[in-house]
Amino acid sequence: MSTVKERLAPFRLQRAGVVYAFALILVVFTSAAAGTGRPFYLSALNSANILDQTAQVGILAVFMTICLISGNFDLSIGATGALAAGVTLTVLNSGLGVGVALLLGLLTGVAMGAFNGVFVQYVGVNAFIVTLGTMTGIRGLLFILTDGRSIQTTETGLADLLTGDWPVNLKVWAAVVGLVFVGVGVFSLRRERAGKVTDGQGYWYVIAGALLAAVSVIWFPTYWALSKQVWIFLVIVLVAWAVLKFTVVGRRLYAVGGNVEAARLSGIRVARYKVMPFVLNGLFAALVGILYASRFSAINPQALTGIELTVLAAAILGGTSLFGGAGNVLKSVIGALILFVLANGFGVLNLGANYQDLIKGVVIIGAATIYVLAEKRGGRRKLTAADVPAVTAPATPEKVTTS
Amino acid sequence: MGELLAVRGVSKRFPNGTVALRDVDLTIARGSIHGLVGANGAGKSTLFKIIAGAHEPSAGELIWQGTTVDWSTPAAPRAAGVATMYQHIPLVPTLSVLENVFLGEMSGLFRRGRLMERYDALCERFGYRVDPNKSVGDLPIGERQMVAVAQALAAGATLICMDEPTASMASAEVELLFRAVNRLRESEGTSFVFCSHFLDQVLELTDEVSVLRDGRMVFTGATAELTEERLVDLMVGRKLSAMENARMEPVSPTAENVLEAINLRSPSGVDDVSITVRAGEVIGLAGMLGSGRSEILEAIFGADERCSGTVKVRGRNVGKRVDQRVKAGLALVPEDRNRQGLVGGWEIWRNTTLPDVQKLSKKRMLPDAEAEHARAGRAVADLKVRTPSVTTPVSALSGGNAQKVVFAKWMYGDACAYLLDEPTVGVDVGAKADILELVRGFARAGNAVVIVSSEFEELLAVAQRILVVRGGRIVAERNAQDTDEAELLALSSGLGANEGRTG
Repeated sequence: MSTVKERLAPFRLQRAGVVYAFALILVVFTSAAAGTGRPFYLSALNSANILDQTAQVGILAVFMTICLISGNFDLSIGATGALAAGVTLTVLNSGLGVGVALLLGLLTGVAMGAFNGVFVQYVGVNAFIVTLGTMTGIRGLLFILTDGRSIQTTETGLADLLTGDWPVNLKVWAAVVGLVFVGVGVFSLRRERAGKVTDGQGYWYVIAGALLAAVSVIWFPTYWALSKQVWIFLVIVLVAWAVLKFTVVGRRLYAVGGNVEAARLSGIRVARYKVMPFVLNGLFAALVGILYASRFSAINPQALTGIELTVLAAAILGGTSLFGGAGNVLKSVIGALILFVLANGFGVLNLGANYQDLIKGVVIIGAATIYVLAEKRGGRRKLTAADVPAVTAPATPEKVTTS
Repeated sequence: MGELLAVRGVSKRFPNGTVALRDVDLTIARGSIHGLVGANGAGKSTLFKIIAGAHEPSAGELIWQGTTVDWSTPAAPRAAGVATMYQHIPLVPTLSVLENVFLGEMSGLFRRGRLMERYDALCERFGYRVDPNKSVGDLPIGERQMVAVAQALAAGATLICMDEPTASMASAEVELLFRAVNRLRESEGTSFVFCSHFLDQVLELTDEVSVLRDGRMVFTGATAELTEERLVDLMVGRKLSAMENARMEPVSPTAENVLEAINLRSPSGVDDVSITVRAGEVIGLAGMLGSGRSEILEAIFGADERCSGTVKVRGRNVGKRVDQRVKAGLALVPEDRNRQGLVGGWEIWRNTTLPDVQKLSKKRMLPDAEAEHARAGRAVADLKVRTPSVTTPVSALSGGNAQKVVFAKWMYGDACAYLLDEPTVGVDVGAKADILELVRGFARAGNAVVIVSSEFEELLAVAQRILVVRGGRIVAERNAQDTDEAELLALSSGLGANEGRTG
């Protein structure tokens, strides 16, 4: 049986801080919109809009988090994305078809990621330096490819494939998701009753699921026009989260980031888990670059410059450790949402776009401060005698000394 | 000669309950060279750290030049004129010799000419001159030691405490250091405390010797009256403990070879080592700190990728990588458990199953928390780990309990050859007995064990055969029944003349 303290653990500031911050920001914007007589801030239209704006950075934040968990760092994702987009459009223009163009674009990303990973892991150059170099170098490749000009395409295949909406009946599907949560909660509680290992959060799943189902039936709209890019984003987040949480691969990734020497001496092939995040980063940076280009059917050689810093900010807001071993992709995604809600809210409410970056900066440092303080206050403590069940220590025979 | 520093009734008890020093007295006369010896773990380092202000004594007092002093920070003894040199010399490798020597006063303008004059005067005083423009990182270890001495003198030290200064020195370098020490003592009355495993050097250099044993000062006297044999006897004492009586049964000569290591060499100093361990056999590696004993274990385990040589498990060749060796059945309990053995923030259960997580997974993909908790629960019960539950993070455990978790990692899988590096270091007495019993259990179950320990007493208690390591080589082999702590100590200090492998 779990104690109340254990049951409440997920709600501690240290663990859920980013969620509280997100909720707070939503409440502020929603009431500000209502107070100034503007339309409902979290309307179907605007919420779908926010998700659409977040999708690309959100995807990158997932894989940046994975890279940070493994104990590494990647600054080259913006350049990789732009290069992959450039390759894709070039191939498309040469008439080879959308499939080939996509494939070559994604392979470009994989190659760039593999280069980073191999250099960092096998040559041993610091990840910050390697990716700082590739960030510039890959951008240079793009300039060579495009001769410094934008590439456009008149082929519509890419845009047809990757833009547009897949609307969904939010009322029904949110209710279904709510019921799934209730089901998971009930299952978890039954396991708990049977004395099996659970995370002890069954009640919360049931409560949250029931709440979601009820709210969706009463208030949620029936038409929610999510873009295709949002769907891609959501699928990636779910898969990445599940892999990290439920698989051997995820477990080993955290082990490698947490203590690389202990992981190595436990027989884990550390190099794989150090190189793989770079490759994934390259692959999905390429995907994001292609998604970006599909919106405009064009890519500017300066595109996606600086996006890596936004992505890092999202990961840091989500509480990802810069030293490896700790991080959660869902929280990083919420971090990304915070950044885009701020941007969106300032625009929608016409609050003076000049203040936006200042607020973002304050939010980032504030979040990091809260994590550090919470860590210190609730920090590790040694077990005291009271925590330990009484075990009679074996009698130690007094040594007889005669000299 | 009056007394310079007196240590009176000093005891040191660590928060984890280990008592490192009990009621120790030590008097260092002005202008004397005082030797401090003791077996591994006798309390020499603790005493050094108390004199250096790095540890506060639990009881007793320090008297410096006649007045009682409170040295609870490292700055206080330094200001009084005590310089302590640990084995790892705290110099800045990227700075030049000159800059290092005057590191303590490197503020304001760097007036090279004036410092150079002082440097030359300093070198004159102890009769050795290191090129002041060389960067310290390029110097051989002996010269670095000289730089450290010069640094201590520049800071105005009247007492210089040296912990194992000669551990990695060639004999010519030792000669130089000794000449400088003698010269300083004669010309300006500087006192030295010289702590070393090399008893021949202690006898050669010092005026007086103090012997620590199990945290007690058991002897202090003039060096002239001592011989090596007497010194070894004093260090070991005659101990009749339960552990010593419980020697292991010899293995049957027909037992199969579980682990064979052939011609291992590594850049970290392992020099052509071959070891064969039979089923049910425990082999002890006896050696001093820095003798290469840990490096041999790392070479067998493949932890050092640059090493060469063959490792066979049950007659079959094993690949070079750590993961291949783990798969073949090798298990390493490393020396530094926090850095090499455990993921600190993780719970006991996730640490316990780390090497085996795939085997405990559904479809070898999805870890089965149920099975993992069950295994961790079994480990906690089997090993008597003192913890409220298996979900406690290992960073909250005491040393002995954390060590048991490291053992647990390898106990329920397919490991058949255990490599244990100082498994009882920093562990209290009760847990120590548990761990030694565990090691015996590994052997009884037909596994092969190679164990490194600084406490030779422990090796004698658990091992059937003992290999003495010095300079990365195996220099002698003894059956545990035919040897004793004194002989092992002598062999690993390089004193014994009758080396060679028996049996």
